[in-house]
Amino acid sequence: MNIQFKKGALELCVLALLNKQDHYGYELVKKISDRIAISEGSVYPLLRRLKKEEYFTTYLQESQEGPSRKYYQLTDKGRDHLNDLLKEWEHFSEGVNHIIEEGVSHE
Amino acid sequence: MNKKEFLTSLETRLKKLSNEEREDILQDFSEHFEVGKAEGKTEEEIAHSLGSPGQIGKEILASYYVDKVETSSSTTNIFKAVWAVIGLSFFNLVIVLGPFIALVSLIVAGWAIGASFVVSPILFLINIAVFPDAFMLFDLFFSITLCGLGLLLIVGMLYVSRISIKGFVKYLNYNVNLVKGGMNS
Repeated sequence: MNIQFKKGALELCVLALLNKQDHYGYELVKKISDRIAISEGSVYPLLRRLKKEEYFTTYLQESQEGPSRKYYQLTDKGRDHLNDLLKEWEHFSEGVNHIIEEGVSHE
Repeated sequence: MNKKEFLTSLETRLKKLSNEEREDILQDFSEHFEVGKAEGKTEEEIAHSLGSPGQIGKEILASYYVDKVETSSSTTNIFKAVWAVIGLSFFNLVIVLGPFIALVSLIVAGWAIGASFVVSPILFLINIAVFPDAFMLFDLFFSITLCGLGLLLIVGMLYVSRISIKGFVKYLNYNVNLVKGGMNS
């Protein structure tokens, strides 16, 4: 799939995952890359940008194995943003699906 | 590439950032490696899935420069930001450089016209000094009118320049978002 397109969806994926519960970086990356082929490193710049936009906050938490982990927690602002993005996404995918159906059924 | 090579490579690309911010980023990636290793992956596997440190560095730097323009829009900052955003992909070369050149030419042209209007009475005086016979009242008044128009134009250009810079920074930001995974237009 087109790279630009994938990256557009990445933000939505991150916010949607954090909507349910807090995650640490590695977990977020794995959950996304299990489903979509991405270059995993680009998730971190995205996380930094969204944090700067105050869509989530971070906190450190110890773990049994390995070093303490940085968890990401969605803010109210982030939740609002997620809802906006979801609306856009639904509108967009509805449109695309409609066009595909039209195009493919007439072949 | 192992963890150390990956982090070193990324670090050299992030020299421009403050120590604090660079350490923070490297810490994120270091954590990523550690968690991956705890899950039984090799450093090479993890580095491979992360992708190229060069590309990651570019993405981080581009948003860094754009942020900088937002706080202080000096000419060098703007050029650095434009350059960094262009560096993200060929897509941006076309979509950022074109409007940037057009905008800069328009602004430069506006200033040049304003300035030449303002100095037109001086040119008129020089003309009289050189060819005293060529004195014409029409020329005098015409050049004074141009001078007034030029002054207005320059004041206008001040606003236009300021607004264009702000607008263009927004446009740059939009491009960074587009490339880095934003859908917010």
